[in-house]
Amino acid sequence: MKGLQTEALTIRFGGLTAVDGVDFSLTPGEIVGIIGPNGAGKTTLINLLAGIYAPTSGRVVFDGEDITAVPAHRRAALGIGRTFQLIHPLEDLTLVENVMTGFLFAGRRSLRAAREAAAALCRDLGLGGLNRSTGELNILETKKMEIAKALAVEPSVLFLDEVMAGLNSTETLDVIRMVREIAAHRNLGIGVVEHVMGVIKELTERVVVLDGGRLIAAGPYSEVSQDPRVVSAYLGGSV
Amino acid sequence: MTGFKRLQVALSVAAGIAVVALFLWRPTAVVYGLQRAGLYASIALPMALVLGIVHIVNLAHGEMMMVAAYLSYAAARALGIDPLLALVPTTIVMFIVGIVLYRLTISRTVDGPELNQLILTFGIAMVLGQAVNMIATSQPRKISLDYVSASATVGDVSFGVYDFVFVALAAASLAGLYLFLKKTRLGQAATAVGQNPRGARIVGIDVQRTYTIVFAISAALLGIVGTFFMTKFSIFPTVGGSYTMRSFSLVAMAGIGNLPMIVVSSVILGVSEAAIQAVPHGGGWSPLVFFGLIILAIMIRSFRGGRA
Amino acid sequence: MSSIEQRPRRRAPWVFAALAALLAFLPLVAGPYPQTIARSVLTYMMLAISWDMLIRSGQLSFGIAGFFGLGGYAAAIGATYLGVPPVLTLVFAAVVVGVVALLIGAVVLRLRGMYFAIVTLALAEIFRIVMHNWSSLTGGPNGMLLPRSAFDGNSVATYLMMLVLAAVVIGVSEWFRHSRIHFALTAIRDNETVAASAGVNIYAYLLTAFAITSGIQGAVGASYAQLFGFVTPESSFNVNYTLIPLAMTLLGGMYGTWGPVVGAVLLGVVGEYLKLFIPYGHLLVYGVIIVLVILFMPRGIVGLVRGHLERSRRTTTASEKGGAA
Repeated sequence: MKGLQTEALTIRFGGLTAVDGVDFSLTPGEIVGIIGPNGAGKTTLINLLAGIYAPTSGRVVFDGEDITAVPAHRRAALGIGRTFQLIHPLEDLTLVENVMTGFLFAGRRSLRAAREAAAALCRDLGLGGLNRSTGELNILETKKMEIAKALAVEPSVLFLDEVMAGLNSTETLDVIRMVREIAAHRNLGIGVVEHVMGVIKELTERVVVLDGGRLIAAGPYSEVSQDPRVVSAYLGGSV
Repeated sequence: MTGFKRLQVALSVAAGIAVVALFLWRPTAVVYGLQRAGLYASIALPMALVLGIVHIVNLAHGEMMMVAAYLSYAAARALGIDPLLALVPTTIVMFIVGIVLYRLTISRTVDGPELNQLILTFGIAMVLGQAVNMIATSQPRKISLDYVSASATVGDVSFGVYDFVFVALAAASLAGLYLFLKKTRLGQAATAVGQNPRGARIVGIDVQRTYTIVFAISAALLGIVGTFFMTKFSIFPTVGGSYTMRSFSLVAMAGIGNLPMIVVSSVILGVSEAAIQAVPHGGGWSPLVFFGLIILAIMIRSFRGGRA
Repeated sequence: MSSIEQRPRRRAPWVFAALAALLAFLPLVAGPYPQTIARSVLTYMMLAISWDMLIRSGQLSFGIAGFFGLGGYAAAIGATYLGVPPVLTLVFAAVVVGVVALLIGAVVLRLRGMYFAIVTLALAEIFRIVMHNWSSLTGGPNGMLLPRSAFDGNSVATYLMMLVLAAVVIGVSEWFRHSRIHFALTAIRDNETVAASAGVNIYAYLLTAFAITSGIQGAVGASYAQLFGFVTPESSFNVNYTLIPLAMTLLGGMYGTWGPVVGAVLLGVVGEYLKLFIPYGHLLVYGVIIVLVILFMPRGIVGLVRGHLERSRRTTTASEKGGAA
């Protein structure tokens, strides 16, 4: 089976169960929203899928194979891409070099090929001034670089962790258009974590709702947003 | 949290068993081991304080103790007084040295990368060691004192009495630090800063001032330890270096921020060192076991801490 | 536009390399004393470069003296018991120390920051203690004499040998700088999670870097043993071999080949004069340099110069761009 599935995925940090028995799936071609109040476990779920954390129990399956024990760098090579909620540019590398790393390591390309691929990808996303240091980028360019870095591992599933945060409405529309194009042209499964419900409504065909580490609802946004459990999760949360 | 508690209990039990077993075999080794543990703990506690609150590893820690020892030595020689009378002036001078050192150097890297802090304090260690070497030469110094060699005999076990001063010192430091951190306003502020510097800043605590005072207190404690150290041992410019490493490994074994466990770790280290030296021909190799223990302690700690 | 940016960047290293070559051969005609200084500069330079190569990954080692001393002993033991020819002891030591580092690194490279730094310091002590106590093999505290030294101690030939070794080390460092290793190590230094998410096998790259840099330190230790004809625990594992290269790299600038080279030439020559004026405690200056550079010039001399060049270049390209836009 193509794409990414989890079975009863759970991780505990000391006494806190950050992700609790979550069954989640993402197949190429679909855009899925991952929503929930602050501290619901959204970023932790992405870290589990990307292999940054090892789960306490449960399984992660990718393209039909159990990858629960596969380390992060090999998951990137398999085709799991992700952006970071707190943006971490590799600040000692230039814009194009940041994007290159994925092609270079996950894609095992040569330096020259990786640089060319990165330059082409940056052009596709409307990023210029490739030899600038990351400190010189504005916020929209930084966000685009994050997306480019994630795309550079040539993923079949991609997780965008609050890429719209901090953008104004025009910039947000720009990125939404970009994400749509990526989904259409590259046949990716995209998981979108976002706090702005307008974005989720715009972009996604279905959403999953996390609260306290548990998956409390799933379905199209229009249905889920009416679900009393979801409403109370948000009202009871910090939003 | 539970895993951490379990490790503490396990370490304490291990220390207990080691002490009892060694006592049955070589009672003198236990006495030496405990005395040594006192010395180690009294040097490691100030490092634990700085590491737990200011969050920097002071690689000049042992050298600061060495400088304090030389200060007391110089005072005793120049004034012709008993070195222990130099305790008060040395402690005060070291407190000031701590303030100056922190303000002039460490404060500038405290928000920077850890790499810079490590290299900086390594450089300070070299400066202190080399400066003392230049002023006092590498010749070992010692003042012979009658009361230091007093010994006692219990049953058929005979041992030096004076060395227990380090056990008392360790106990006093631990108690003093405990009271400071729990009962004084300054200590409570320091604890808050250690746990969450940003939060403490928001509540209105002057973080840099707190760091300065904590570092100065640590330096002052080293002033006390250094003075007692020079009454018992020969001092030379490189005498402090190995105590930096010892202290760090004890802090790592105990867990950063956990002062009472320093004492338990010190007992493990002191008693096992004494045990190896009690083995015939074990003397030359005993440092190897010691450094092996250091690495082991650090490895175990980092594996447990890796997830947090 | 990219061609405009590339050109000045490429010319500088060539001018620099030509100058370096000239400097490198100068001691051959300048007499024995300059040659002695030049040999010591080369020794520290290679150690400085190797230390820098590892810190490009963010891993700080205080164990240079340990691998340096181990290399000296490997050379002495190889020559004495296995009959390794003098010049080949350099290769022998590099391999032995590299393998030792690989085995140790497999365990300790799970550590980071202060934990790794302290463990490397402890490792250096362990090597010294083992060599000190394993008397049947190493001669104990008295150390061992090499059966015969390289080129029978001919100073021109040994100097050339050091020069070749230095060229190899610079070559390896430049290979690190201009291959995928550069991207892997820089990414690891900047952010390990991001590096792993780009597919970088962090553990494998750290292990490679640690083994290669330790191997270099071992080879340099072997060349030192060849130069002096003996090894002892106290001289071969001397903390100077950690302290001086560190000061040189910091002064010259970290994260590149030319920082350590510049720092080694500067401090190496200045250090010789200091030795004449303050025979006891001239190392104080190295400590002071470490402290001052970290506080006031963390990018070192090369970093300063490069920053200055980039600023001036940026203003020119900006004005060109401004004209176009």
